[in-house]
Amino acid sequence: MIELIATAESLGQAEKLLESVDTLYIGEDEFGLRLPVSFSRAEQKEMIGLVHDAGRKVTVAVNALLHNDRIQAVLPYLEFLAEAGADAVTVGDPGVIHLMAQHKIQLPYLYDAQTMVTSANQVNFWAKWGAVGAVLARELTKEELLQISRKAEVPVEVLVYGATCIHQSKRLLVQNYFNYVGEAASGQERTLFLSEPKKEDTHYSIYEDRNGTHIFATNDVSLAGQLDVLKEGGLLRWKLDGLFTKGDAFVQIAKQFNEAKKLLEADQWTMDAAGQLQKEIQQHHPVGRSLDEGFFVKNPEDIE
Amino acid sequence: MTTLTKRVITKKPEVLAPAGTLEKLKTAIRYGADAVFIGGNAYGLRSRAGNFTYEEMAEGVAFAREYNAKVYVAANMVAHEGDTEGAGDFFRTLRDIGIDAVIVSDPALIEICAMEAEGLPIHLSTQASATNYETLNFWKSEGLERVVLAREVSMEEIKEIRQKTDVEIEAFIHGAMCISYSGRCTLSNHMADRDANRGGCTQSCRWKYGLFEMDEAAERTSLLGGDESGDIEEAFSMSAVDMAMIRYIPELVENGVDSLKIEGRMKSIHYVSTVANVYRQAIDAYCADPDNYVFNQEWEDELWKVAQRELSSGFYYGIPSEEEQLFGKPRKIPAYSFIGQVLDYDEETKIATIQQRNVFSQGDAIEFYGPAFTHFEQTIEEMWNEDDEPIDRAPNAMMTVKMRVLQPVRPFDMMRKQR
Repeated sequence: MIELIATAESLGQAEKLLESVDTLYIGEDEFGLRLPVSFSRAEQKEMIGLVHDAGRKVTVAVNALLHNDRIQAVLPYLEFLAEAGADAVTVGDPGVIHLMAQHKIQLPYLYDAQTMVTSANQVNFWAKWGAVGAVLARELTKEELLQISRKAEVPVEVLVYGATCIHQSKRLLVQNYFNYVGEAASGQERTLFLSEPKKEDTHYSIYEDRNGTHIFATNDVSLAGQLDVLKEGGLLRWKLDGLFTKGDAFVQIAKQFNEAKKLLEADQWTMDAAGQLQKEIQQHHPVGRSLDEGFFVKNPEDIE
Repeated sequence: MTTLTKRVITKKPEVLAPAGTLEKLKTAIRYGADAVFIGGNAYGLRSRAGNFTYEEMAEGVAFAREYNAKVYVAANMVAHEGDTEGAGDFFRTLRDIGIDAVIVSDPALIEICAMEAEGLPIHLSTQASATNYETLNFWKSEGLERVVLAREVSMEEIKEIRQKTDVEIEAFIHGAMCISYSGRCTLSNHMADRDANRGGCTQSCRWKYGLFEMDEAAERTSLLGGDESGDIEEAFSMSAVDMAMIRYIPELVENGVDSLKIEGRMKSIHYVSTVANVYRQAIDAYCADPDNYVFNQEWEDELWKVAQRELSSGFYYGIPSEEEQLFGKPRKIPAYSFIGQVLDYDEETKIATIQQRNVFSQGDAIEFYGPAFTHFEQTIEEMWNEDDEPIDRAPNAMMTVKMRVLQPVRPFDMMRKQR
């Protein structure tokens, strides 16, 4: 009953991930945001075939903010995905929802407007428009998540492992900076970070792609210690995001979460198991990137 | 034989100005705004901007009616659990007060408003980042009257959106800009525990950051470079310059934008009066005779008098480069201060009664301006206090001062001087 959803960066990695997760999350960066890799149409088709052969599901990211040129191009893409048998798409632009309704595209969608998805009422609004689920904002506390879980009419997805995007600009902010200081460098490298004024230890990932500039929280999320709370609260869709955790390290992390899932479903979850999971994750997590429980452990009253 | 008929644009776009207080509301309308947007005590994004009580809203609406102007209320927060409690009552009250529309971004609030305050028009806030015509068509099908476009939409895209939709379009023409897609930024939430989408934005984008590369062993290498002189290390920043579309009014009108929005509910009456005044002039001039329209440099000069940052055309003609961000030392911008407002004028004696808003003295070079873009400059000569005693300086806030003026002035004309 718990669904593990993981990003995939290659067919090879996907094969291994499929041993542990229920759903793979892939896409191309013309329509999907902040993916580990942008796949070609042929690769997406192959991926969908591979996943279906393993009896698993594929969700495709169509969650970008689309300007006119891309809202035009998205229709053939959605038709391609329906034809290729994608099990669902994530959508964050109401224009896409409008198009799917008008053209009767048979593709279930999950509402995913990133930072904006913050209440059950909002999720239910999109459910009325046919959304079969929603991806929740990362700026939600435990109390809020549990309330949303109770009131939402469709299942909601929570990030249990990975990076949190906290800013998207259409501008090329890193390139602009390099241009100003006269350096010939690229903002597209995914090894760049910002540090906050007077907090030199902070490390906010930043990179650019065709969708602009993306900035991520200083700590990646791991809810290893909260999985029982999620399960109890009916929050059963767990996203593992491998944007910054590459190759086999991410496969190992997915494997650990699957072990946890099995224990939880067998009612054998213990504090020790949670501690063990956290240790394993830490071990495979990229050096220099730290983990915490994000907004899950904040008090809603402390946020002004 | 050809008949030459002068083309006139009868469907003028609306000049929409910000109003943080009742005084600003009245000022904006007197200075030419067709509509103003204000905040209520809840559901908005500017917790620190002056927000209106219901009584103040009613007074604002009554005032606006005299000028045939409209009042919109921004209720554009992105609600969390519990935040929408009482929203139905709130929207119904606004409707009954006579508010012309609410500006909303959260679908949950849109739904409450549509269900519980039937008849109150809804505008989609720029926070929802509407960037394509199908999105506008979606919101039209949901019953919205207007969509405020994302600031990232280009002029070409507006043209196409206009052709493919018939919902009203509102676009920003002046003021400060989010460096992110509006709503898609939670820097404040993560850096300061303040929710950017619920009125707590700390403008973290304007802070000074380090920029470095980190390798797989967590070794850091700073990537900061030097400033223009090359001597001083330049911090990474994301601070955008402001927007001013005064040069591009013809294209905005021809592309069918229904409402031209000025940002800044936190700004002063000096700012609001000046900016509304300028755009009123430009739009009226263009619509009265589009084929013989000439851009007036004085309009832009006027905008610079209240500018706080450099000005640009945002995303209308391309994706902004480093030129449209604030790097290096702050460049000097000619700044004026607002020093007084005219309360009264005696035609016989040519003496104006002024309410002091900032210190001024005999000998100061000052400028008066008023609605309909009236302007003149003079030097302060004789002045008297409210007891008609001669003074050479007006040091006290809100004190009443009389002075001889070189040209007639009217109540609510403003007085400024160069800093």
